[in-house]
This record gives sequence, C-alpha cells and structure tokens, in this order.
Amino acid sequence: MLEYDFMQRAFIAGILIAILASISGTFIVLRRYSMIGETLAHASLVGVAVALVAGSNPLWIAVLFALIAAWLIELLRDRFELYSDAVLSILLSGSLALAIVIVSAGGAFNSSLFSYLFGSILAVSKEDVITIVIVGGIALVAILANAHKLYFIAYDEEVAQVSGIPVRLLNFLLVSVVAIIISLSIRVVGSLLIGALMVIPVTAALQFRRGFLATMILSLLFSVFSVIGGMTLSYFFSLPSGATIVLFVIFIFIISLLITKR
Amino acid sequence: MRFSLPIFDIRNLSLQIANQTILKNISLQIFEGEYVAIIGPNGGGKTTFARTLLGLQKPTSGEVLIYGKPIEQFKNWEKIGYVPQRATLTDKNFPATALDIVKMGRLANKGFFAFYNEEDNNKVQEAMEKMSVWQLRERLIGELSGGQRQRVMIARALASDPSVLILDEPNTGVDIISQKIFYDLLRELHTNDHITILFITHDIGVIADDITKLITINQTAQVCTSPKEALSCEDMSKLYGVQAHLLANHRKGDIC
Repeated sequence: MLEYDFMQRAFIAGILIAILASISGTFIVLRRYSMIGETLAHASLVGVAVALVAGSNPLWIAVLFALIAAWLIELLRDRFELYSDAVLSILLSGSLALAIVIVSAGGAFNSSLFSYLFGSILAVSKEDVITIVIVGGIALVAILANAHKLYFIAYDEEVAQVSGIPVRLLNFLLVSVVAIIISLSIRVVGSLLIGALMVIPVTAALQFRRGFLATMILSLLFSVFSVIGGMTLSYFFSLPSGATIVLFVIFIFIISLLITKR
Repeated sequence: MRFSLPIFDIRNLSLQIANQTILKNISLQIFEGEYVAIIGPNGGGKTTFARTLLGLQKPTSGEVLIYGKPIEQFKNWEKIGYVPQRATLTDKNFPATALDIVKMGRLANKGFFAFYNEEDNNKVQEAMEKMSVWQLRERLIGELSGGQRQRVMIARALASDPSVLILDEPNTGVDIISQKIFYDLLRELHTNDHITILFITHDIGVIADDITKLITINQTAQVCTSPKEALSCEDMSKLYGVQAHLLANHRKGDIC
C-alpha cells in the first residue's frame, strides 16, 4: 500500500498528528480538560464553514477561529470563574450550530464540509503535509520546551504559581498550541473524531500507573500505533480512515484496562 | 530592636470576600530565623492570610512586602517554599513518582526551555535525603502513606533552597507517629539549616515549644513573641470562643 503517493502522505500526516495529539493530550487530560479537544475542533469547523462559503483555503481560517475560541475559554474560566466543563459545552454546541447556519445560509452544505467532520486522510495533499510538519513542529517545540512546567501546573496550579511559574501565560500557550494542533488535524481525522486521539491514548497510558515521562511515551506509542493500525485496516477493508483509527485506539484502551485490572 | 529586613512585612492588610470581612487591619512582620506558628479557629482566616502572603489572594486594602519589595515586583520565588493545605490529599492516579514531584521544586525562575541539569539533580537528591524519601523516589505519589507524601511535599519545597518554609495545616491526613517525625524535622530545618518556618494549624495541641512567635488569627491578628504567654487559657478561650484546655508546652509538660 505504501507504493502509492497518497498513502505515503496519509501515513506521514497521520503519524505526525498522532504525535502532536498525544503529547498535547497528556497535559489536557491531566488538567481534567479533556473536552477542550472536541470544543476547539468544532470552533475550527466554524472557520472551515466561513472559508467554504468565501471560497478560500480553510486551514488558516480554521486556525484563527480555534485560537479565538481557545482564548475565549481561558478568559471565561479565569475572569468569570465559570466551570470549565460548562464553558466547553456551551462553546462546543454554539460553534457547531454556527458552522451549520453559515454553510446553510451560504449554500455550501456539501461533501466538503462532510470531509471536515469525519476527516479525509486519503485526500491529504503535499501542501497539507508540509504545513503539518512546519506548524506542528513549532507547536511541538513550544510544548516540549515547557513540558516540566505544564506538568507542574497540571499537578498543582497554585503551588506552581507560588514557585514563580508564569501560570497564566503557560495556560494561554497550552490552549493556543492545542487549538493549532486541532485545526491541523481536522482535515485528516475530522472534527468529530480528533478529541478521541487527544484523550484516549493518554487515558490508556494512565492505566499502567507510571511516572510522567513513561506515561507520555506510552501514550505516544498507543497513538502512533492506532493511526498506523487504523489506516492499514481502512486501506485493506475500504473503511473510513478517521473512524477506524478511533475504533482502533478504543480497542487499545480496552486492552489496557483488562491487562492492568487490579 | 531588630535591624534585619523582614521577610514578610504586612501593612494594614484587610480582605473582604462578597461583603464578608475575612481579614481586618493586620499589620505584622516576620523576620529571618523565626519559627512562627499561626493558629486560630477553622474559618478564622488563617489559610486566606497565608494565600495573601503568597500573592494568591489580592487584599482589599493594605499591602504585603516580601524582602522589602511589593509582592507584584517580587521575583525570587525560589526563596519561598510552600506546602499547601491539601498537599497530602493528592490525586491517587496522577502519573507522578516521588522524584517527579520533588523535581518540580527546581523549576522556579527557569527560562523558556526548562530542563533539569546536574545541579538540579543534586539538589533534588539532597532534599529527598534530608526528608528520608530518596529510597521512595521511584514510587508513585498516590501509593505513599500520608506521612511519606508530606515529606515528599516538603522535599519539593526544599529543593529550591528556600530561606523560608510556609506550611498550611501540614498534618492533614497524617498519623501521630509521622507527626512526631515531622516536628523533629522542622526543628532540624530551623536549627541546623537556618530556615525560617511559618506553619499554620488549627490544632493548638501540637504547638511545639520551638516556636519563637505565635500569631493568632480570627479576622484580626494578635502577635506574641513569647508564645507561652499567648497560650493562656484566657486568650485561647477568646480566640476559639470556648473554654480551652490545652497543652501549652508539650515537651516541658506545663498544662494550663
């Protein structure tokens, strides 16, 4: 299957996204912020809807909308002291509703939007791969450079603050990087499914009860393995790639639960 | 008369939350080398007071100076070690070994690329050995007992080489034997390592005779540099609003 250019691109993009999603997902899950992936994916869908109606490239407009939503979430959480899960839920349904209204009003409710909902890994272009490598690479460096501090914040935000860690700035950095990673990913995995790739490998890794580094590496391995496994199955059995990847990672999660059962 | 710069200089501090007075016009100073106990009833404002000292809570009026600087301008946070109230009641499933936790103490004032170097590793080992938890370094924090977790949290605070240690209700979830070890360790840190200690408790029965200053907080603060004098039944009765019977000096056995 790797003799085809489109499959090579699909595998490169998929593996890169698996790495980005699992590493950023580690911090998201530890902060009890799992729903943020879903919410930002739907916010970036608003950007896709605007781009489809306007006839421009959806990727950058999706990034812009996801970033705005990410900052709005931080603002509402920080200034108005609203419950995080309630804020995420409001923005999730609000974004999806707005995206549907925009494409319907603009007459663009077609298969293009459908491919952003469920992903279309087999239609990944060379430009998509280059964008994921460059932008995703920068996002990854930003997270890894601050990984220890983000881990400290996830463990105890107040003590981190008293230790002189710029908690607000790093919270802002984390949600911004997650917004960018998600916008890059919805073309490949789909806005309805990317949240799963951020949360499930980490949750599976947590079952093994290891320290920080081991948990992150395990989660990375589960994520990459799921993408490779899911895409291979999707190629040989003509299944939709995004959904197959998610089912594969859920399978790994169940196996993790069973073998670590206490 | 003291000539040294106070670590904490609290000036006319008042705090109201939702029109309710939590702290009222508190002025006091904490100097290097002191061993300070902050006592008071539950809900009296002890934890809020500590949070205000650390910049986690903004006062309604008044100010807090740390080493002579207004709290917003203070940058040397590695000098302040903080062990919060719920430190021993940690999330049991959090993926952290004791070593992961203590290493967090080395992150103060690290730049954008925050990685650990050899000096960090040495300081972490030193702090863990001092707290007798080096042998537990590979164990998950959720698997440790309350007393062991407490010592890991103090090791984390010590890893940054602080000159002052603030402990809020440090014995929550800790058994009696571990509490005894804890007080011996605090005494050692104060006497041998010259670390200023400030600890908050609602349990007046555990106050050691090591303390050099006692602050009682129940909205307002009363400072006593002679702790024994402050531990009179009359004062305690006023503070707690009940008839108090306490062990004023648990080593010497003076019972009030």
